[in-house]
Amino acid sequence: MVQQKTVEDIVREVLKTMYQEQGVKAVDSVPPSNKLVPERDYPLATKRPDLVKTLTGKSLNDITLEKVLRSEIGADDVRITPETLRLQAEIAEGVGRVQLAQNLRRAAELTAIPDNRILEIYNALRPYRSTKQEILNIAEEMETKYNAKINAALVREAAGVYERRNRLRAD
Amino acid sequence: MNKSKRFEALAARPVNQDGFVVEWPEVGLIAMGSPNDPVPSIKIEKGKVIELDGVVRDKFDFIDQFIADYAIDINVAEKAMAMPDVDIAKMLVDVNVSREEVTKVVLGLTPAKIVAVLNTMNVVEMMMALQKMRARKLPSNQCHVTNVADNPVLIAADAAEAALRGFDEMETTVAVVRYAPFNALSLLIGGQAGRGGVLIQCSLEEATELQLGMRGITAYAETISVYGTENVFVDGDDTPWSKTFLASAYASRGLKMRFTSGTGSEVQMGYAEGKSMLYLEVRCIMIARGAGVQGLQNGSVSCIGVPAAVPSGIRAVLAENLCTSMLDLEVASSNDQTFTHSDIRRTARTLMEMLPGTDFITSGYSAVPNYDNMFAGSNWDVEDYDDWNILQRDLMVDGGLKPVSEEEVVAVRSKAARALQAVFKELGFPAITDAEVEAATYAHGSKDMPQRNVVEDLKAAQDMMKREITGLDIVKALANSGFNDLAGYVLNLLKQRISGDYLHTAAILDKDFNVISAVNNRNDYRGPGTGYRISAERWDEIKNISQAIKPSDFDE
Repeated sequence: MVQQKTVEDIVREVLKTMYQEQGVKAVDSVPPSNKLVPERDYPLATKRPDLVKTLTGKSLNDITLEKVLRSEIGADDVRITPETLRLQAEIAEGVGRVQLAQNLRRAAELTAIPDNRILEIYNALRPYRSTKQEILNIAEEMETKYNAKINAALVREAAGVYERRNRLRAD
Repeated sequence: MNKSKRFEALAARPVNQDGFVVEWPEVGLIAMGSPNDPVPSIKIEKGKVIELDGVVRDKFDFIDQFIADYAIDINVAEKAMAMPDVDIAKMLVDVNVSREEVTKVVLGLTPAKIVAVLNTMNVVEMMMALQKMRARKLPSNQCHVTNVADNPVLIAADAAEAALRGFDEMETTVAVVRYAPFNALSLLIGGQAGRGGVLIQCSLEEATELQLGMRGITAYAETISVYGTENVFVDGDDTPWSKTFLASAYASRGLKMRFTSGTGSEVQMGYAEGKSMLYLEVRCIMIARGAGVQGLQNGSVSCIGVPAAVPSGIRAVLAENLCTSMLDLEVASSNDQTFTHSDIRRTARTLMEMLPGTDFITSGYSAVPNYDNMFAGSNWDVEDYDDWNILQRDLMVDGGLKPVSEEEVVAVRSKAARALQAVFKELGFPAITDAEVEAATYAHGSKDMPQRNVVEDLKAAQDMMKREITGLDIVKALANSGFNDLAGYVLNLLKQRISGDYLHTAAILDKDFNVISAVNNRNDYRGPGTGYRISAERWDEIKNISQAIKPSDFDE
C-alpha cells in the first residue's frame, strides 16, 4: 500500500509539472496522500497553513502589507492554486457536498485558463451563440491546451443538449 | 345603496393600495399546488434517471436533464421517493431528527416530490424546519448600498455605517452602468472602514460582474440568475451549462458566489407553463445544487409582487427559502424588494425568515433611504433601523443588527469618506473635496450631497478598468495615504481567495477575518437548548437601545 501511494504521488507530481502554465513556477508542496478531514483541517488558512500556497509558491504569511508596498507581491500571489481548490473539494466531500466538490474540481482545472478566455468561453456557452462544432472545439481546446478534462466533458455534454433542444446558433 | 363609512375607512388603508389577483393556474398565477404540477415519479436504469416527474428521458427539457443528471442522489432516490409526503414533512419539523438525516433523504427527491412535501406544511411548521435546516448556525444579514446619483463618497459612508450596524455582506448596483467600477471601489473601502472583514459585491451583467471579481475589487457575487422553465432560462440568456461553467469560473479565481432565483419570475416573463410558482422555483433550487454552487439567493427577490398577489404566496416564498436549506445550500432569503404599502404586511412577510433565522435574513436591507435604492426600493430601509433593532429586543431574536450611537456612526462615515478621498487622489481620479467628505459624513441620502461632475467620473471609472487597477493597487493607495489599517483589511480580503476557505457553504468573515461557514459552524439545532442561542454578550448589544429609560434618569 505504501508503495502504491508513493507511485501515486510521483504520478501526480509529474502531471502537475506537465500542465503548469507558462511562466509560473511549479508549486513544491506535495499533496497529502490522506484525505482532509473537515473538523481537523478546516479552515485551511489557520489549521493547515502548510498546505496553502499561492500560484508563485508563497505561503499566506509571505503576503504582507510591507511586501505589497515594495511591489514584491503581484496579481499571481493572490490567486488560488488548483491544488488548494482540490483540497477544498475534499473538505466539501467530507461534509457530504459532492456537487460543490465537483464544482471546485472544475475550478481547479480552470485556473490554467486566462481571464479573457474564461469570459469568452462563458459567452460562447450562452444560448444561440455557437455552432455545435464551435462548442466541440472549445472542449478540445480545454482538454489539449489546459488539461481541463472535467470541463471539457461538461462542454461536450452542452453541445449535445443544445443540439437536441435547438439552442445552437443557426448559420 | 348608501356608502358605508366603515368600508370607506377600510378602502383608505395602505393594504388596499396593494395589488391582488385570484388564482389563475393556466398562466401560472398560483403559488402552490397547481392542478398542472406534475405527479412525483422517478425511474432509474443503469445508474441513469430515465423518467422524472412523469417525463421520459428523451422528452426532457434541458432543466429536467440537468436536474436528473446532477441534482438527484440516485443511490437513495427510489427509497426516498417511496416515503409518504407527510413522513418527510414530519422529519423536517421533528427536533429528534438531525439536519443531516433530513438532507440525505431530500437529496434523493424530484422537484415534484419536494413540492408535495412542502404542500403538507403550514408556515409555523416551515419556520420550525427552517430553524433546523439553515446551513450556518449563526444567522446573518446582508444590505444594499446604492444611490440615485451613484455618488461614490456617499456609497463609502453608507457602507461604513451599514458595516458598523452589523451587516456581514453588502451589495451595490448602479444607476448608470458605467459607474460600476467606482461603486464597487467605494463599497469596498467604505465597508472595510465600518468593519474589517465585510464581504462586498456589485450586481451587474454576468460577465462584467465576474471581471470586477477577477480584479479583486469585489469579494463575491450573487446576481447569477437561474430560472425554472427552459424558455425563461433562454430569455435570461443562459443555460444550466453556461451557469455551471460560470460557477466554476468564479471558484477558479477563489471568489465566493451564489445563484439567484425566485418564485414569480417565470410568470412575469410569460412562460410558466401553467405550473405553480413553487414547483418552478424548486427546479431552480435543484439547478443550483446540481451546479455545485454553495448557495442561492431566493424568496421571490425582485418578483415578490407576483406571489404576494395570490393566495398562500408569502407561504410559498417561505417554502422556497426552506427548500434551499433542505438541499444543504446557503440561503440569502430576500426580504428585499418592496411589495406592499402596508407596514403590517411587510413585517409579517419578514418574520417568516427573521424568527427562524437564515444565512442572510434580508438580501438585502436597504442601507440607504428608499429614494436612493437602485434595486427598486426595499422592504426594509435605513429609516427602519430602530424598528428592526427593537423587534430583535422585543422577541429576543438575532436579526444580525445592533443599536449604534450617533458618534460611532459619524466617526466611521467620516473615515470612509476620507479614505475614498485619499484613494481617488492616489489613483488620479476626479478630486473628492473636503466639502463632499463633510456632507457624506452627515448625510441621510443623495439629496444632501453636492453634485459631482458625472462626465469626469465616468471617464475615470472606465479608465480604472482600462488601467486594470486591481485590489493590490487599492491596498497600496490606502497605505500610501496613511490608512494602513484599511490597507491591511483589503489585503486580508484578497488573501481569502488564496486559501479558498470562504468558498464553502454560507461563509462570512468575522472582524479578524476568520471564516465562519457551514463547515466549521454547522447548524446543530436539535430543539430547545441547542443550535444557535444568543450569547450574553450579544444580548447586551441587542438590549442596549438608547431609547430605554434607566432608573438613573429619575435620580435627580
